[in-house]
Amino acid sequence: MLRELYDKTGDWLRGTGPEADIVISTRIRLARNLANFPFLSRANTEQKREIERLIREKIKHAKDTKDLHYIRLSDISTVDRLFLMERRLISREHAGGDGERGVAFGRSETVSVMVNEEDHLRIQVIRSGFELRDAWKIIDEIDNILERELKYAFSPAFGYLTACPTNVGTGMRASVMVHLPALGLTHHIEKVFNAVGKLGLIVRGLYGEGTQVLGDLYQISNQFTLGKSETEIIEIMESVVPRITSYERMAREVLISENREQLEDRVWRSYGMLKEARVLSSEEAMHLLSQVRLGVTVGLIKDVTAETLNALFILTLPAHLQKLEGKELEATQRNVLRASFVRRRLGNTN
Amino acid sequence: MKCESCNKRHATVHLTEISGNEKREQHLCDECAHNLNNQLIKMPSPTDILANLINQVAPEIGEMSKTACPACGMSYLEFRSSGRLGCPMDYTAFKKGIVPLLEKMHGASEHIGKVPSRAGKELVVKNEVLQLRKELDKAVEKEDYEKAAKIRDRIFELSGSDDVKGTLRQDG
Ligand SMILES: [Zn+2]
Ligand SMILES: [Zn+2]
Repeated sequence: MLRELYDKTGDWLRGTGPEADIVISTRIRLARNLANFPFLSRANTEQKREIERLIREKIKHAKDTKDLHYIRLSDISTVDRLFLMERRLISREHAGGDGERGVAFGRSETVSVMVNEEDHLRIQVIRSGFELRDAWKIIDEIDNILERELKYAFSPAFGYLTACPTNVGTGMRASVMVHLPALGLTHHIEKVFNAVGKLGLIVRGLYGEGTQVLGDLYQISNQFTLGKSETEIIEIMESVVPRITSYERMAREVLISENREQLEDRVWRSYGMLKEARVLSSEEAMHLLSQVRLGVTVGLIKDVTAETLNALFILTLPAHLQKLEGKELEATQRNVLRASFVRRRLGNTN
Repeated sequence: MKCESCNKRHATVHLTEISGNEKREQHLCDECAHNLNNQLIKMPSPTDILANLINQVAPEIGEMSKTACPACGMSYLEFRSSGRLGCPMDYTAFKKGIVPLLEKMHGASEHIGKVPSRAGKELVVKNEVLQLRKELDKAVEKEDYEKAAKIRDRIFELSGSDDVKGTLRQDG
């Protein structure tokens, strides 16, 4: 199954859907727990095993989830777990965790269900582009089906009860992954952060720490899960995200009209490096891919698609390269492999 | 530089202590620094310090510190130091402490939104009405009275309960 995953990419990387020039993907996740068990930090080995077994069996029998592929994380290698994480099918915490735990996911990689992450259940749906309503419709249905089989911990006052009180209530985290290279280049990104924070949303860099966000990729998600309904949370995102995307588009236009030569030089130079480099670190690849993606979305570069670039962001991550080669590789070896992989994908046969 | 404590070995550890406006530097060798660390371990545990602090800041949380969940045994203080709850029951057991915490975290302490259908039809309706009330407020705020009227009708329809009908009869 993992082999099969490797030969393709998830549907959410298609580069389709509303606002796909900026919004790469939309994700909704729901946190759920079983009523009759302690939360995981307090559960013993036996209870964890019992929870995993119970949920796994229900997933395998319930309509809508029975076709999902189930993997017990204790059965696979560290690299395979990292591979699933890079694929966004599981979280970093889930990949690095311990004890009995698993993940169920579909062939298109739209749906995934993590078992025994921070909560007993973390259901997740990812769609390409800005598709919150669509994602909500799918996840709501899956949740309804699982809820018929499993007794969720729920209180009329506090809603769905979660291990961490920051998730209680709807248990819902809606997020969009946005590509904001022009706001970064024009130094307007801080303003976006400040404005968004006041509206009850959080922005964080997708990869990397500190000020330099790798690949200009950001995740915007709702901060509050209690006191607002799922629909309200979606409405807030729907009113804020388009403002950010139009701000980014404005910044792109400014770059083109006022700094065309510099922008052209920047994106073509990056494209040239990607097509010719012999050694590429993960950081450098992200940075260059971001610049080229900007060039493609503003129409300067036409011989590569945004979809190809979206996929390269994922396919050049460490565990993906190691799966490609079929063995564990040192960082220096990966950097050589990454460069040759990118060259081939961009049609350079040298 | 020689160690300030034993004056024999070479100082390899440099500590800066700031108390009030005074800054004090200490230069120690490995061994003396190690001994100093051991002294630190004899200090009150972080949990004790936390308990003290909480007692000073919010006495009612201090009172909560004696509370533990009867189901999983998690104490309120354990929860406050780890940030993670032990079991679903904790929300009830720690209610007094958790409500103000949720207010701070979410700006709210009551759930509005999806309800599992097995939680009972009554609750499902109650929640929908709560949501509709919010929408009604929004519609009125925007002066969209047509929409507001529709929402109000839907609320009446859902509530369909005696008290609403009663009011209507009185009005009529
Ligand atoms: Zn000494
Ligand atoms: Zn408990």
